[in-house]
Amino acid sequence: MKIKTQMTMVLNLDKCLGCHTCSIPCKNVWTSRTGAEYMWLNNVETKPGIGYPKNWEDQGIYKGGWTAKNGKLSPAAGGRLQKLSRIFNNPDLPQIDAYYEPWDYDYGSLVTSPVKKHQPAIQPRSQITGQSMKIQWGPNWEDDLAGVCETGTADTNFSGLDAQQYLEFEQAFMFYLPRLCEHCINPACVASCPSGALYKRDEDGIVLVDQARCRGWRYCVSGCPYKKVYFNWKTGTSEKCIFCYPRTESGMTTLCSASCVGRIRYVGVILYDAERISRAASPADPKDIYPALVDMMLDPNDPKVIDEAEKQGISQGVLKAAQNSPTDKLMRKWPLALPLHPEYRTLPMVWYVPPLSPLQTGTENENPDEVLADMRIPIKYLANLLAAGDEAPVRRSLKYLMALRAYMRSLRLEKTPDKSILDQTGLDEKLDEAAILEIYDLLAIAKHKDRFVIPTAPAPDQADMRMTQGEKGFE
Amino acid sequence: MSGFIHILGFIVFPYIALTIFVLGHAWRYITDWKRWNAASSQFLHKDSLKGGITIFHWGALLTLLGHAGGMLIPQRIYDVFGVNAAAHNFMAHWAGLVAGLLMVPGVIWLLVRRVRQDRIAANTSVHDYVLLGMLLIVSGLGLYNVIFTHYDVLYSVAPWIRSIVVLAPNPALMAPVPVSYKLHILSAFLLLAYSPFTRLVHIWSAPVTYLYRSYVIFRKSPGAKGA
Repeated sequence: MKIKTQMTMVLNLDKCLGCHTCSIPCKNVWTSRTGAEYMWLNNVETKPGIGYPKNWEDQGIYKGGWTAKNGKLSPAAGGRLQKLSRIFNNPDLPQIDAYYEPWDYDYGSLVTSPVKKHQPAIQPRSQITGQSMKIQWGPNWEDDLAGVCETGTADTNFSGLDAQQYLEFEQAFMFYLPRLCEHCINPACVASCPSGALYKRDEDGIVLVDQARCRGWRYCVSGCPYKKVYFNWKTGTSEKCIFCYPRTESGMTTLCSASCVGRIRYVGVILYDAERISRAASPADPKDIYPALVDMMLDPNDPKVIDEAEKQGISQGVLKAAQNSPTDKLMRKWPLALPLHPEYRTLPMVWYVPPLSPLQTGTENENPDEVLADMRIPIKYLANLLAAGDEAPVRRSLKYLMALRAYMRSLRLEKTPDKSILDQTGLDEKLDEAAILEIYDLLAIAKHKDRFVIPTAPAPDQADMRMTQGEKGFE
Repeated sequence: MSGFIHILGFIVFPYIALTIFVLGHAWRYITDWKRWNAASSQFLHKDSLKGGITIFHWGALLTLLGHAGGMLIPQRIYDVFGVNAAAHNFMAHWAGLVAGLLMVPGVIWLLVRRVRQDRIAANTSVHDYVLLGMLLIVSGLGLYNVIFTHYDVLYSVAPWIRSIVVLAPNPALMAPVPVSYKLHILSAFLLLAYSPFTRLVHIWSAPVTYLYRSYVIFRKSPGAKGA
């Protein structure tokens, strides 16, 4: 057993209201610079939709992530020789238009305009060329399904479903999907980098681009299946989400999660067994990846794990944070959260609690399976998004959420706690009342101290800081 | 060419150029590590780049290999392996022709793209234009020599270059060489001297280690203890 620590985030999609408040502080602090205008290290997409950059989930276009043949993993875009032989022109690179051409406005001309009959108007102006331009895409272009009647059929999550049917007005459904770097355990961007500039921090699993070693070969951009490594067109190097490590190292949470007004984000550490990485990433059937991923996580309250962690030098602070980690509970213990597109085989570490959705018709139905069939969001769609097409884990999560609601309703409104809900069939593990109340506290009340449990990092060696400038992701 | 200018061109200038080449790279690496990269413009306009960048790079690689193999290794070593001067010249001619026919159209392609694509033009520095211009001159002269001037360099230019490398310059070897070859050589040394200040520095970061390193890299922060 080789125990490693991983910083993780869980987002409760059931509560996301799509306000983009997470994106704004991230943008203001990290990417408000020339060359980075188009980068949204955190963005919120409306699903269904093809997202930002366009069609990022379609690995037939960008060849991101890994493929497994006979239990052997290799990058989907090709191996080492193939990459180097095409290094002059990465064939899978998206062009900036797939994100959007950054623009601003000549606000000054509003002030200096001579007196006219009509109010002066200004054209969008490209921040690359300075010429006037047409705005054609953006980080939330399909906000609240805008234009999805045209783009929606290209959404790969409709696989196995009749997309056209769900794009009709009466059948339409939507939910929000806030996205950031997944800080994967088996990161394809790191594997794609010819220079070895991208790396995973050993102590907390945060994936960073060493700016002093990045030579701008651009393979990380296409290699990341989530399209969360961005090429700075001005400086010629790649940049990505740094999980706000200057904040997390001092015990504060990331900007996106701190600012979340819906309180949907949970940040904490998990412990996992590094010896099980390749087994988790390489099953022949992608549906087996999620269970293997859960199996890889270690119970921080298990005396054997504690013993071994202490032997391997994991600090008491980290261990304590793992024991109280809200993400460990939501990913492993209960388990409500699911990984985003596990079939990419990168073992992502930002997980999502699937959204319950309004019922299509009024129902008095008590059978949870039939209730699920009545939900506006097709289970298959969520399964394609969060479980490599396997409906079982999605059904389980949603049933837990429904049982939680029903039980709390009986407790709070009817004042007669209905224990039979807890014994409902279909739940893997029966929940006791204490567990239900704990989940309720975490998901519904969601106090700051419960959502964010982050161990502090030892103070860095001051003498080293100038010499290591740039190594940790930004200049 | 008078003796003084000849010495200036084929002793003084090459050493000045090589000095700038070495010190320039060191200076650039230390002071400007943030921009030590290929400065790719593929992200801004993809389709217009593909053909030009591909033929240019393969031509340039073949050119570098050809010059290193043909100039730096003496003919007597080739003789040992049964490649006489005639065979060597024959190979050099055809390899040079292929390299030149890839590289020269490649440079022209890239230059035209840089001028004509608005986004690329807006993101182009004077250095980029000067560099492409110099590459065009050097490779154009090289291609001209391959096609029109069949001068045997194996016992003239090649030993002169080796004399420069081993710090025992012998400019007399260059005396009978045609003007177009002299111009090719002088412009190439100028390009060498200029290269540390351009995007050409990415040549020195050719990622050969990728061929044998492990895919995923874990790195410990300096000062971090434990896992």
